[in-house]
Amino acid sequence: MSEQDKGGIAGLLRAFTRRTDASAIVATTVLFVLFSLGTQNFLTPFNQFNVWRAASQNVFIALGQALVVIVGGMNLSLGAIGGLTVVVIGHSIEILGIEPWIAVILGLATGVLCGLFNGFFISRFKLNSFVVTLASSFIFQGLVNGISQGRPYSKIPREFTRLGKGDVLGVPNMVFLMCFALVVVYLAFRYSLLGRKLLATGGNAEAARLSGIKTGRMLLLANTLSGLFASIAACLWISRMGTAQPATGGDWLIVSFAVTVIGGTALSGGTISALGFLFSGLLMALLRNGLIMLGVNVYFESTFLGCIILLAVLVEWLRAGVAGKSRRL
Amino acid sequence: MRKLFALAIVLVAATVAFAAPAKMAWYVSAPHPYFDAVRLGVEAFEKDYGVTIKKQVGPDWNMDSENTGVLALAADGYNFFSVYPSDASAANGLYDEIVKKGGKVVNFGASTFEPTPASFAVMTDVKAAAMKAAEFLIGKMGGKGTMVNLLEVLEDPNTKLRKDGVAEVLKKYPNVKMIEVAGVKSEQEAAEKIEGAVASNGGFVNGILCTGFVPTMALSKFLTDYEMKSKKHIFGVGIDDDPVILGAISQGYLDATIAQNTFGHGYLSMLALKYLSEGMKPTAGKYKVDSGVVLVTKANVSTYKADLTKVTQAIKADLPKIYLTK
Repeated sequence: MSEQDKGGIAGLLRAFTRRTDASAIVATTVLFVLFSLGTQNFLTPFNQFNVWRAASQNVFIALGQALVVIVGGMNLSLGAIGGLTVVVIGHSIEILGIEPWIAVILGLATGVLCGLFNGFFISRFKLNSFVVTLASSFIFQGLVNGISQGRPYSKIPREFTRLGKGDVLGVPNMVFLMCFALVVVYLAFRYSLLGRKLLATGGNAEAARLSGIKTGRMLLLANTLSGLFASIAACLWISRMGTAQPATGGDWLIVSFAVTVIGGTALSGGTISALGFLFSGLLMALLRNGLIMLGVNVYFESTFLGCIILLAVLVEWLRAGVAGKSRRL
Repeated sequence: MRKLFALAIVLVAATVAFAAPAKMAWYVSAPHPYFDAVRLGVEAFEKDYGVTIKKQVGPDWNMDSENTGVLALAADGYNFFSVYPSDASAANGLYDEIVKKGGKVVNFGASTFEPTPASFAVMTDVKAAAMKAAEFLIGKMGGKGTMVNLLEVLEDPNTKLRKDGVAEVLKKYPNVKMIEVAGVKSEQEAAEKIEGAVASNGGFVNGILCTGFVPTMALSKFLTDYEMKSKKHIFGVGIDDDPVILGAISQGYLDATIAQNTFGHGYLSMLALKYLSEGMKPTAGKYKVDSGVVLVTKANVSTYKADLTKVTQAIKADLPKIYLTK
């Protein structure tokens, strides 16, 4: 092997370790290979369809969280916004007899309004996002229970499920939608001024403010987008299940943080990776699916999940150390 | 002719390839004492029929987890499922996918909303059980006084049925006032709500009815403590037969409990799947298989299991005659 080749491979490796999503890519690839070798039916089209569909759902849930994490905040009301969106859509279609496409618009508008509500209190009164979204999660959840009375809405038209259940050449429709959303996220944060301003606000709010960025507006925007993505995830869930359940969103908080953190989004804000989302969303789906196929005792699923998150954070810490050292060299 | 012959061979080969052998699985939402009791029935079925059932316990009560778990088993070749539906509405979406893949599903413990792709629901008639419990409690109260009806989460369709059943019985007793408490999720919450209801009514509560397992556990402990301290007896009726509940009945603190046929939920749901895998079809209008209940009091607390076994045997004999056709 020539010196040039060695330098080339070493250079590639150095470049790879500088990526914030490196640990997610490695962990997911390793798990994918392990499950493929360790189980007979992991790679069957039926199983891959289910795994990728679940991964797409995870990505949309996590995008709702990541958009506030990059500005240094968090959204504890993400699941409740999803639940409220589901109830608004279900109630509009089943009880009010509204056309499904109008109901979806109402659902998305609900997500946007909830996000605006959070963003207003966080940016206008400089309140901590933890406290504001904790309080709003109770408000939204109360509305979910109050409107629905705990009753699921099952009269969802069959056409509504085309997106969540359908496929093109065996690839779930939701995967195409996920890819589109991730490309938009990549382009927005890589090339648009607005995206850079959002990242700058999360990286160092004071420095961003001094450089002329209206950080309050960025916080408002990030929270509004968070609400929007929560409502998109809710629409996809209805489409996948064919019913609108008020219990939707109850388990989103852990998924949203896990995918966000494993995907390389720093909890202190300022960084995001579309590729990281793809791999970490897939990782979560793989974990649940693969453990069952391997016959591992799923009583301990949460333990495995916690270990993987901790491992990802540790690998990220190591990676950051190595990348910093190589830069210094 | 040769082409026709070749086509026939291809068709036969395709049929053989697609006629997957029956692989049975039992899926439950999360670790729970109820499922432990049902599992005994599944294990007895395995022993009686010499088959192996894949027994999978999910991590939580979310439909997302149930989707992932059941579909992973389906991908692994399992095609006949006995499932506790984590969500009565959304589970139909999951079952649709299983049935489209050529599989069959039997609900146990609870039903999905009808119409449903599930072939059967082997379960307690929860409304009838709640009515039986309410009748017994009001009888103990002498047909008058104040009773507390402690209900679990309203999202559970069984809660609504239990609520309706108790309300129906109450119509017959105008001298009974009911205080309804709903939304109980944990034993701690149930204990707080029972204490609150009794305290706020200043000793005027004559009876407490719990139609869910978690509130009944709290009720058993509350009535034991209450009677030991105050030397007063509040009539109490619950559901399920956990040792704590049975202990409270034996000692006279709790008056009765409705024992569900949990063994039957496991055994009979697997038996129904076995018949389905052998080509039998569900009889129209016989979707729900009432697994039966027994009222357990101090008088039969040590013998009631024999009564439940008799119920299971009777339904076992009825399955191929009444519930399934060739």
